[in-house]
Amino acid sequence: MLKKLGAVAVVAAAISVAVSTTAWGSAKGPDRVSAAAAAKVTCGKVRTIGVAAPLTGPAASIGVEQLHWAKYWAARWNRKHKSARIKIVSGDTQLGVDTAFAVKVAHSFASNSKVLAVVGPAGSQEVVASTSAYKGGSLGFISGSATRISLTDGHTDGNRIGYFYRTVPNDGVQAPRVANYMIKTLKWKRVYIIDDQETYSQGLADGVQAILKKNGVTVTRDSISQQASDFSSVIAKIPANTQGVYIPWQLAPQAQAFGQQLKAAGKSHVTLFGSDGLFSPDWKIAGSYDSFFPVSPSNATVLAYVKAHNGNGEYFGSPSYVAAQVDTLAITKACTLGHGKTTRAAVRKQIAKMKLKSSILGFPVSFSRGGDLHSPATFGIYQIQKDGTFKPVG
Amino acid sequence: MIATRQQRLGNFAGLGLVLVAWVLYAVYASPTQGWTFFLQLTVNGIILGSIYALIALGYSMVYGILKLLNFAHGDVYMIGSFIGFGVLSVLGGALSPAIPVVLLVLCMFAVAMIGSGVLGLVIERFAYRPLRNAPRIAPLISALGVAFFLENSALLLFGAQYRNYDGYDLISFNGIHIGGPTGVFVSYLGVIVISSSVALMVALVALVRWTRFGKAMRAVSFDREAAAMMGIDPDRVIATTFFVGSALAGAAGVMFGLVYSQIYHLIGFIAGLKGFTAAVVGGIGSIPGAMLGGLLVGMTESWAKGYLNGNVADLVVFGILIGFMLIRPTGLLGTPALQKV
Amino acid sequence: MAEATPPPSAPSATQIGVDSWVTESDERRLHRAGAWGAVLRGWERLPPPGKLALVTPAIAVPFIPIVSSGNLFNYGIFILLYALLGLGLNVVVGFAGLLDLGYVAFFGFGAYTFAFLSGTHHEKGHVFTHHWPAELSIPVAIVLCGVLGLFLGSTSRRLLGDYLAIVTLFFGEAFVVFTNSADPYGVTNGSNGLANIDPLKFYAFGQHLTIASVRGYYWFLLGCVIVVLVVLHFMSESRTGRAWKASREDPLAAELMGIPVNRLKITAFIFGAGIAGLAGTVFAAAQTGAFPQNFSTQVLILIYAVVILGGVGSLTGMLVGAAVIIASNQVLDSTSPPNLQRVLFYAALIIGFALMFRSSWRKLAVVAASTVALGFAAHAIASAAWPRGVHGSVTSGGFLTGAIKHWVLLPTNPGRIADYVYVLVIVLAVSLTQLKGWWRVALAPFVFVFTAFLWENLLIQQPAVTRYVLFGALLIVLMAIRPQGLFGTARVEIA
Repeated sequence: MLKKLGAVAVVAAAISVAVSTTAWGSAKGPDRVSAAAAAKVTCGKVRTIGVAAPLTGPAASIGVEQLHWAKYWAARWNRKHKSARIKIVSGDTQLGVDTAFAVKVAHSFASNSKVLAVVGPAGSQEVVASTSAYKGGSLGFISGSATRISLTDGHTDGNRIGYFYRTVPNDGVQAPRVANYMIKTLKWKRVYIIDDQETYSQGLADGVQAILKKNGVTVTRDSISQQASDFSSVIAKIPANTQGVYIPWQLAPQAQAFGQQLKAAGKSHVTLFGSDGLFSPDWKIAGSYDSFFPVSPSNATVLAYVKAHNGNGEYFGSPSYVAAQVDTLAITKACTLGHGKTTRAAVRKQIAKMKLKSSILGFPVSFSRGGDLHSPATFGIYQIQKDGTFKPVG
Repeated sequence: MIATRQQRLGNFAGLGLVLVAWVLYAVYASPTQGWTFFLQLTVNGIILGSIYALIALGYSMVYGILKLLNFAHGDVYMIGSFIGFGVLSVLGGALSPAIPVVLLVLCMFAVAMIGSGVLGLVIERFAYRPLRNAPRIAPLISALGVAFFLENSALLLFGAQYRNYDGYDLISFNGIHIGGPTGVFVSYLGVIVISSSVALMVALVALVRWTRFGKAMRAVSFDREAAAMMGIDPDRVIATTFFVGSALAGAAGVMFGLVYSQIYHLIGFIAGLKGFTAAVVGGIGSIPGAMLGGLLVGMTESWAKGYLNGNVADLVVFGILIGFMLIRPTGLLGTPALQKV
Repeated sequence: MAEATPPPSAPSATQIGVDSWVTESDERRLHRAGAWGAVLRGWERLPPPGKLALVTPAIAVPFIPIVSSGNLFNYGIFILLYALLGLGLNVVVGFAGLLDLGYVAFFGFGAYTFAFLSGTHHEKGHVFTHHWPAELSIPVAIVLCGVLGLFLGSTSRRLLGDYLAIVTLFFGEAFVVFTNSADPYGVTNGSNGLANIDPLKFYAFGQHLTIASVRGYYWFLLGCVIVVLVVLHFMSESRTGRAWKASREDPLAAELMGIPVNRLKITAFIFGAGIAGLAGTVFAAAQTGAFPQNFSTQVLILIYAVVILGGVGSLTGMLVGAAVIIASNQVLDSTSPPNLQRVLFYAALIIGFALMFRSSWRKLAVVAASTVALGFAAHAIASAAWPRGVHGSVTSGGFLTGAIKHWVLLPTNPGRIADYVYVLVIVLAVSLTQLKGWWRVALAPFVFVFTAFLWENLLIQQPAVTRYVLFGALLIVLMAIRPQGLFGTARVEIA
């Protein structure tokens, strides 16, 4: 027995030495991922953009809108630029099922040498999780919905300066807007805040909670997992005299179930207040409020989109249109500068320098060093009507 | 199946200890939240528990007769809730039902129960019957395969988006406050769920105790070979047991949809685990035990969600299961089985 | 594979642990004539290390030069990873005969431990920064997993058979719940997972050695698999290995022979957990992250599919099982080209039918001919009676487009029809298994045609879901037809 174990140990040691030498050798050899990252790509007639969005799963309604808008941009662009067409490849991040899918999508974009820039991912936690993969592939990625403040500060959730940009104002704009609306317009004195334990939700809930507290509002904070379906115990904790419940969540069907269970607990007099993640037809508890990205429904392009989609605005996806627009323009510029060849790094450089005088969102687009919008308009406040539509109220 | 007097006393002592511990904990925690909160959680727990009890019955009956852990049972429950949702959508949806609400709800229950019952029959026939005499590891793995198959079939057919029953729009009358406007609130929907669950269990007890099938079932679970020699067809009895257990799970699925509104293809797995815990806590193989276990697990979960944290509740339930398995695998009302060599 | 083969002179001798059918099938195999028989006999004579030496490079080498790093990541790394996981699970299930359904938790625990020891994380206001070198953090992770295995394994002292399966299943679920949302200190960062993980950094021989490329991970994993294979091979032939098998076959008799059954069970758990922990560390580093759902039941089922298909108790089987299961898993991923998926699907379908009718060439020919005829006939009838039924387009068809266009019905808007056909196909497939003789031949073409219809109209849009349906079905079918898998030895339980 001992003799055999000794033999095993010797063999194991020999093999591990061999393996580590091989690994060392290969580590010094050409690295395919960074090869894809550094490689000069011939631009050709078709350039590829990756769109990472939740196309299935509980957040599918918003992800599909993002893909629709990105494709709408590509269709409009391709009509005029036959020799520099844009191709969209999509990756399903399954927001609300698992963050790992976003990482998988990021890896597949990073190793696909045709992809020059990315739109997405949708959720802030997905941005945090997939940063290493995008950085490893030297890809720039522009999210049309990730609003957590610290994504762009370069240290709190990791450093992604020069890689990550977003075409929505961040929660530094959203939180005060929501809190002030609660205090000044709704005149709430007792608010119950429930986050869904995701990076995005916690950040926004913290922000609103701080401002409400400073203004003398009684705030209770609670939290429930994104996977939960029984809310009855949390609802039992909500005091009967609470005026509003703030739910900065990402999954609209969950908000719908929460509203239903609120009714079941005899607390239908309590008003719900959601955030941008819930701006979806899946949430239809009449009387609830919701804050949402700036959009300009009167913009000619937006009107054309609505007309092309049977009167369905799908506004959640409109910042992704701008993200696809920025990606496309940056790729085109980089291709021109590189005389028909470019690299992902060159595209990122062009994204950083991007200046759009106007956009379908109703304001000019250019980015700070961290990747935030320079001139953000503020968030709109909407109320859900009896027929399930969102009506702007402030 | 026959417990001695001493064992029964032991069972009741164990049950009493558990209850006393919980009530003590509630007394300890109540000053911060008030008794109303405790009672509200208890009511919520009973609603949840009556759903778990129905799931647990299926587990318990199948284990009692086949000594098989039917991991696919939770997914039968999930399919049941989707069938109920299908009926609801075909008949106009929650906001504009095409037929009277009472009739609609009855229809949902009936179709879901028959549908899941038939599904249970099919599963038994094709996944478990060929393995009746195989090593015991084989049907367990087959059961895992069935669970996986059903979950992903549902994903394929119904999609990954969540569906909402919107049960409170369907049953628009609301509920009653007990003890003033800030008192405990019981929704009528909750009352419907609890009472229909109790009705189903009573029917089941009657079935097992007083019908020929019940007698045959008890005989087969006691000794399959001896029962076969007495002219009972074990295959038929086992199939019927699967039908009944799965139908109960289907009813539980509809109840879940009505009360908690949101269903999707993954609700079955965790619910199955909780139902299984209930079966073990009550004593696997025992029908009254499954009901008792369901209620205890439901209430524990609700209390844990209320007093501790929504996320820890699942861990608490799993912990209870592991604890029972290690310390008292026969559960509260079960009888110890000797391993035959 | 370590079971004694029966003496040729007494093929009908009853052997404990090997049933008579298997005994005879070995006989039949060994006496088969022709080239195939010679190959089989040669294979049987080869000692196990020789077999492995043939099989491992056959699986590993083709991936190295030809594939892009994306494919090397998706195929090479995942196949090796699951081979490693299968080998570890094989110790518990195959050698010791314990059904461990919480195995995936060790995989996760290894990944999280590595992420925690070698990475920077900000959670709930705390900052965890440890940048341990990999030669330190990998062994620590393995040892911690072993300790966790000891803890879980010690429950096997009290629990038998399926009770152990339940407790371990709940343990695995509890791990996912804990990492997902119930961790009070925020070390696991909840459902957001841990993302900032170092690559494998060694400080060996005073040199900084970082494995940052996919290729590097591939080599490293290959090394790990070979080391584990060699260790397990000697292990299974050692006193401990034989004692494991003895206590698997009959714990009571083993106990009476003086074998410390309980201690052996726990040892098996520790071994399995350590190997899973090793796989976890490499996985976390290669994925640059650890997330709760990486360690969900889905992954557990994949590992079980590998072990069951490969053959419980067989080391070679784990490699083959991992290659087959994971390669088809990745081909059917939503990111891989649809036409490849189509080819794989039809190939599997045809192989399945061929195996079903393998006993009679005549029947097979009849089925093949009538299947082809039925497809064209259905197409002709439909184009006359129901034109909408043939005017759909082929989903990203490659070289098969023409054939499919004229053989499979493609409605312009399949919608509900495809859903009903799904249920119908299940019913038909199930009845196919019940029918015998020429009835089966009569039904088979319909099953084939409907399955093709289903694939073209529904499944090809969701290959990622389809694969899980297929794996679920595979487990059920294997259990009914060949529970010992490809390379396992059939056992008869003595009740």
